[in-house]
Amino acid sequence: MKFQSYAGTHPASALLLASVLSCTISTGAAQTYQDLLKPNPNNWLQYSGTYDAQRHSLLNQINTSNVPTLQASWVYHMTGAVDLEAVPIVVDGIMYVSQWNRVEALDARVGRLIWQYMRPPQTRGWQRGVAVYGGKVYVGTVDSSLVALDAKTGNLVWETKTEGEGRRMQGAAPLIAKGKVIMGGSGRGGGWIQAFDADTGKHAWTWNVIPKPGEKGVETWEGDSWKLGGGPVWAIGSFDPDLNTLYWGTGQPGVDFVGDIRKGDNLYTDCIVALDIDTGKMKWYFQNTPHDTHDWDSEEALVLVDAPFKGQMRKMLIQANRNGYFYLIDRTNGKFLQGTPFVSKLTWANGMTEDGRPIVVPGSEPTVGGSRVCPSTAGATNWPAPTYDPDTKLFYLIVQEGCGITYKSSSNFKAGMPGSGTGYMESPADQENWQLYVKALDLSGKTVWSYMQVDSNHYGPGLLSTAGGIIFAGEQQGQFTALDAKTGKVLWHFNTGGLITAGPMTYSVGGKQYVAIGSYANFFAFALPDAAAR
Amino acid sequence: MKLYGYLQILIAALLLAPTASAQRARAAAEPNPNPFAGNADAIAQGREIYNDVCTACHGKDGEAGDRALALGAPARRYERSTDAQVFDAIQKGIPGTMMPANRLPEDNAWKVTAYIRGLRGTAIDTPAKGDVAHGQEIFSGKGKCIDCHMINGKGGLSGPDLSNIAAIRKYSSIIDALTKVQHRVATDGGSHAQALFPVTTYQPVRVTTRDGKVVNGILRNEDSFSLQVFGSENQLYLFDRDKLKEVYYVPKSLMPTDFDKRLTPAEFQDLMAFLTRLAVPVPQVPRGGGE
Repeated sequence: MKFQSYAGTHPASALLLASVLSCTISTGAAQTYQDLLKPNPNNWLQYSGTYDAQRHSLLNQINTSNVPTLQASWVYHMTGAVDLEAVPIVVDGIMYVSQWNRVEALDARVGRLIWQYMRPPQTRGWQRGVAVYGGKVYVGTVDSSLVALDAKTGNLVWETKTEGEGRRMQGAAPLIAKGKVIMGGSGRGGGWIQAFDADTGKHAWTWNVIPKPGEKGVETWEGDSWKLGGGPVWAIGSFDPDLNTLYWGTGQPGVDFVGDIRKGDNLYTDCIVALDIDTGKMKWYFQNTPHDTHDWDSEEALVLVDAPFKGQMRKMLIQANRNGYFYLIDRTNGKFLQGTPFVSKLTWANGMTEDGRPIVVPGSEPTVGGSRVCPSTAGATNWPAPTYDPDTKLFYLIVQEGCGITYKSSSNFKAGMPGSGTGYMESPADQENWQLYVKALDLSGKTVWSYMQVDSNHYGPGLLSTAGGIIFAGEQQGQFTALDAKTGKVLWHFNTGGLITAGPMTYSVGGKQYVAIGSYANFFAFALPDAAAR
Repeated sequence: MKLYGYLQILIAALLLAPTASAQRARAAAEPNPNPFAGNADAIAQGREIYNDVCTACHGKDGEAGDRALALGAPARRYERSTDAQVFDAIQKGIPGTMMPANRLPEDNAWKVTAYIRGLRGTAIDTPAKGDVAHGQEIFSGKGKCIDCHMINGKGGLSGPDLSNIAAIRKYSSIIDALTKVQHRVATDGGSHAQALFPVTTYQPVRVTTRDGKVVNGILRNEDSFSLQVFGSENQLYLFDRDKLKEVYYVPKSLMPTDFDKRLTPAEFQDLMAFLTRLAVPVPQVPRGGGE
């Protein structure tokens, strides 16, 4: 009543309240599978923006002409947070941000807190975001549960434990499609991908990375070395609704740096796998690094692009892998199309066979005294997401140039022995150093431009491309930059004052486009001055 | 040549520092059973015993051997980290591995333990033998260290403050700094920076502005857009990168690295005895209390 009488006395306020009210009503309710299939560009509905993981926004209010006038709109300080890696999700003007066991909803126009969900224990591990669907917000927890919250209030709707022993949920954002919530993780037996009913939390299926006796692939582990496990799944995958197929990457084999106790290719570690979303059955796999001894997980983003390859249109899956190669795969059947190095320092392989198997340089394996290999274990690139711009037809990624020294514990290492000591050094003693670049590659793998981020040297943040012709990139030293997608020229930058390890996203509310990114313990949103936005 | 990796490594070193002190705090809570902990003579004997007994598998002076790992490698995480745990491994071996039980007299096992712990600790844990007062004279006189380095408020500004050097650097790292052209502080691998720090590498730079002005100095910080430089005339300079003609990263450090030749062996030893005792006492946190 009070609400109505207030509105009644102020006609202008009544209009405003009506619009806020309609905004509130639409929030959380409208998020359907159809919305995910054909997203309104004003929203950023999932970690990768869209199912194809292109991280490309159709918004173009902020463009190469006016981006130099971009300014900070608001900052939200997430008290107690550090090293934010979450990509905010925005649905109809509400932003969802997260840390381990913690989700917060903000007014995306002004950065004000609407609700907060906290679940003990509060930890400081990495966490990369939530998923929103059917009026619920989904997040994985540190104790390997999956939680569904009411999108309007943050109230707990349900929570469910993942399947398997010694579970460990990773901090990746879930992927939601066809009424299922898909998450990766790992447990005592190795990595897994699991699906749950989005309405009830009921477990639907599990796909295990490590095969057991009687299952195909176990023959790629000498003796019973499959028991060593590994293959953790700790990043989000992508999805092709037309092919009804999920694409996901898997991690390195168990006992990272000791290969002689697990001879063989060690399937399905370091693989890209294609799974039927309804059943979880594997359709095909492609192994980037057979018998990996350098911890080169294949968890880097799997970007789905339809483009010509050697004159023929192909449904491709593109991945810049931690091992230093840029892969084009036919995503209908897993056939290897092309693999080209995207770093200048690559010592472990001399190219590839016709079917994409790396030709390994002898002596690249870790030793007791340490062996030098390029790229380093941190990889030529890592989880920070690349972007594909369909306008420029270029693939943009964060590249880490640098080598590392890898050790193994002893010449007779046995599984389960204490003090595995599988450390690696940041860089060798001969003064080589790591350096990050933003690179633009055409689909032949050729570098079109390269932008050096001064004093950025580890992992780096993810990227975003927009129809405004801009690549947004964070720098480790705290600078948030706008680069010209065609040339790599810096058009704008802002010092956020904190180390940036998160990826940017963009959204629009009330006719105004914003670009947002997490930086250390703060989320920043940027927009044009009102005059420039008109 | 740019030395970005230094930053990475030094950041990691800075991050590790509280961990090391936390470990010390825990160790202080449980009395160290090693009767030779911190005893320089016993540690020197422990090294000799180690090089005699353990090098069938491990390498000389704690390096990696043909059959077993390095015992003080900076990039490793050791399962056995306390004196009691290392002593236990020496006495009983490590089941399931090639590490055998050694029938060393108990005293000798503790001495080897103290030596191995010293490989992993900082210089203050195993200070060098020598004439400390004479070492201080070398620091201020013949060595000319004081021209660039400050100790407790006295000395030059262009190099790192050394008031606490023995608590943050390994013994071997101090020797490397004095004698090796390309030395670095290596530490745990795999960690990535969690906060922003100024550049701690004392990277010399020569900056030329567009109007031709040249500034020589030490890089205090930089990113893709700006630089902060401590000039050779003890003045701070703030630069926008796009207003500069050139930033030349001088490949050679200002730090001389031939002290093993400039000084006699005895003088070098005494300088080490002085440097390896430079530590600021850890502040005592008052118990209880409140606001």
